[in-house]
Amino acid sequence: MRLPKFEYVEPKDLKEASSILSKEVGARILAGGTDLLVNMKHRVETPAVIVNLKKIPELSFIRTENGVVRIGALTSLKKIYNHPYIAEKLPGLASAASSVGSYHHQTMGTIGGNLCQQNRCKYFNQSRWWRSSRELCFKAGGELCHVVKKKSICYSSYCGDIAPALLVMNAKAVLESKEGRREVDLESLFTGDGKRPLSFMRGEILTEIRIPKEAHEGFSMYTKFANRESLDFPIVGASLWASPDRKNIRLAFTAVDRKPLRAKKAEQSLRGGFHEESLEEAVRLVLEEVKPVNTSLYSSSYKREVMGFLVKSMITKVMGR
Amino acid sequence: MKHAVALSVNGDTYDVLISPNETLLDVLREKLGLMGTKKGCDLGACGACTVLVEGEAHLSCLMLAIDAVGREVVTIEGLAQGGELHPLQRAFVEKGALQCGFCTPGMILTAKAALDEEAKPTEASIKKKMAGNLCRCTGYKKIIEAVSSVAALSGKEG
Repeated sequence: MRLPKFEYVEPKDLKEASSILSKEVGARILAGGTDLLVNMKHRVETPAVIVNLKKIPELSFIRTENGVVRIGALTSLKKIYNHPYIAEKLPGLASAASSVGSYHHQTMGTIGGNLCQQNRCKYFNQSRWWRSSRELCFKAGGELCHVVKKKSICYSSYCGDIAPALLVMNAKAVLESKEGRREVDLESLFTGDGKRPLSFMRGEILTEIRIPKEAHEGFSMYTKFANRESLDFPIVGASLWASPDRKNIRLAFTAVDRKPLRAKKAEQSLRGGFHEESLEEAVRLVLEEVKPVNTSLYSSSYKREVMGFLVKSMITKVMGR
Repeated sequence: MKHAVALSVNGDTYDVLISPNETLLDVLREKLGLMGTKKGCDLGACGACTVLVEGEAHLSCLMLAIDAVGREVVTIEGLAQGGELHPLQRAFVEKGALQCGFCTPGMILTAKAALDEEAKPTEASIKKKMAGNLCRCTGYKKIIEAVSSVAALSGKEG
């Protein structure tokens, strides 16, 4: 499968990269390439310019400063789960990183690229030939959604494994452009619009992830429910974080909505202490907040069953019951 | 626009004229004539195109050739040294870990990257790392046996 034609640039620093990205509307960032190049082969993404960030030094690092774990956006997923501190203190992140694709994807793929991956849908992630039998959908540049036909938005699902693991830890994202740098809640990066899933301003580049100190003091986990153990996107991915006293629990999901989602009502219901009946209540609230649609081969009702199962098993595990 | 670049593959330097939209896989096979690297799914979902880039397992179908400039690439053709097969290649032959052979170059290079990273892996660790390489002859058992036998050997030496 040939890649479409594009202009290729290797900026030497972030300023140059940002300046190209703000000038060229059709420019896309290349990091690991394991998502972008597949989409380009399918002709669902045809960027005019590819901006390869890998020649910019200082974007791949893991360090701890004043208790905050800082991870450069170009750090490979393999380096993340092989890092002794992350493996020990942030098992949720390590487990999410080691569940992405295959060993090769973990070697090539970066944390920034994984977070910024395209949303997915069974009508979108297909070859041009496959898609040619139907009208183009919103995401591929058309005027309708094949999944939810009456609505005027794209319902493609966010399927990244890393995002929920970071959302439960209240991670921050550092965005840089030639105008400067800003730190935002990672959660605010995701728009919930399937067509434009990320809220970057023109010329902005994700350069770093920061995980607050509080997160390493608690316990975290990520559970991926998928058809295969390798080379697969999650049917449902769920992450949990619990404070050391287990009175504060956070839950997040992937592959069930247009963006990775925190289940905040369920978190509220679990606050302050755990009772037997709170498990059923938490499941009920999760299913009230998170409403998957039929964007993959797995039905929304099946995904809801799986979400309930994952919530129960994760909470039971963390409560030691 | 074509770019005149130098690619370092198996210790040799190749001067080639490439377009940015050519994958490393296509350049290896079509421009350098190194047909050992196989094109399976061409979408990063089978592992047949695995090569080593700076010693790490990469899917050459999802890597731009131009991105490999300045980095050392090793393909299956570069594994045997001085006419001697690499221990992993010998183990695949001895254990009968191949049938049609299409997945073998990718399997061997992934195994090499895995063993270089972890000298004494458990069988579970080998399986996890090899799980991105698909074999449609379903010969997985002997493949894992072959890789494990080399791991045990290097473990003894170490």
